[in-house]
Amino acid sequence: MRAHQSMVFSLAYHFLRDRESAEEVAQEVFLSLHRNLGAIQSPAHAAFWLRKVTVQRAFDEGRRRKRRPQVALEDIAEPAAAVDRGDPLLGETLRRLVATLAGAPRMVMILRYQEDLDPMEIAELLDMPVATVKSHLQRSLALLRGKLERRGLGER
Amino acid sequence: MDWLEQELREALNRKDPAPDFAERVRGSLHAPKHRPAHAVEAFRSGLVLRTFGHWPVAARSWLATAAAIVITAGAGGMGYRQHRGEVARQQVMQAFRIAGSSLNHIQTQVREVRR
Repeated sequence: MRAHQSMVFSLAYHFLRDRESAEEVAQEVFLSLHRNLGAIQSPAHAAFWLRKVTVQRAFDEGRRRKRRPQVALEDIAEPAAAVDRGDPLLGETLRRLVATLAGAPRMVMILRYQEDLDPMEIAELLDMPVATVKSHLQRSLALLRGKLERRGLGER
Repeated sequence: MDWLEQELREALNRKDPAPDFAERVRGSLHAPKHRPAHAVEAFRSGLVLRTFGHWPVAARSWLATAAAIVITAGAGGMGYRQHRGEVARQQVMQAFRIAGSSLNHIQTQVREVRR
């Protein structure tokens, strides 16, 4: 479990942007794994299974929070200080921008850059065509690039 | 891979849950299963029917109406409490925004003084 807990927790955390909800989702996922241990065929299958169930639970939790909006401490506006490339705040800015993406493209970005999965693997996890995954990636990157440029953080 | 993708990889790196996370999951595994709520259990076991089944139809109708009124009043109270909670949340958010803007102002002044 320890081998996979950061993967499961981080997928939920980057998607939901709330530690408490992410830990709840992760806990549910591991309890579900325990109930389905008989169906797991190999360590690779366990990783795939955990990612798939985490993605589903995170989407469910996201939908539930949409019906009853909550504001995580992580999302409370910080003072608008100038941010330079290489500044530790750039990472936080990027996480915030990713959090503004719609559910599916947000999860595609998280699976691509947190888990380093290729579009084919992401498509299999999310049950969507590879072309859709690639399109989400391209659009999201373009969107983020545009927003960063407007903040003066584009490529120099 | 360009700089943005590299930055995203760093920004979205894996994070660890709380140190006691594994312990809590293990604890949940050994916790007794959630039992259904008492009312649901009573209904399922037919207790409600056994208790009120022999009452005349009119009495049962009155009982059902009274129960509906109590439930509706309870739901109304809950709605009011949710509304109060929302108002409190808005006030806290406003306080955070004001604090954020003041901090920003101070940071600007400090920056100017340093120059």
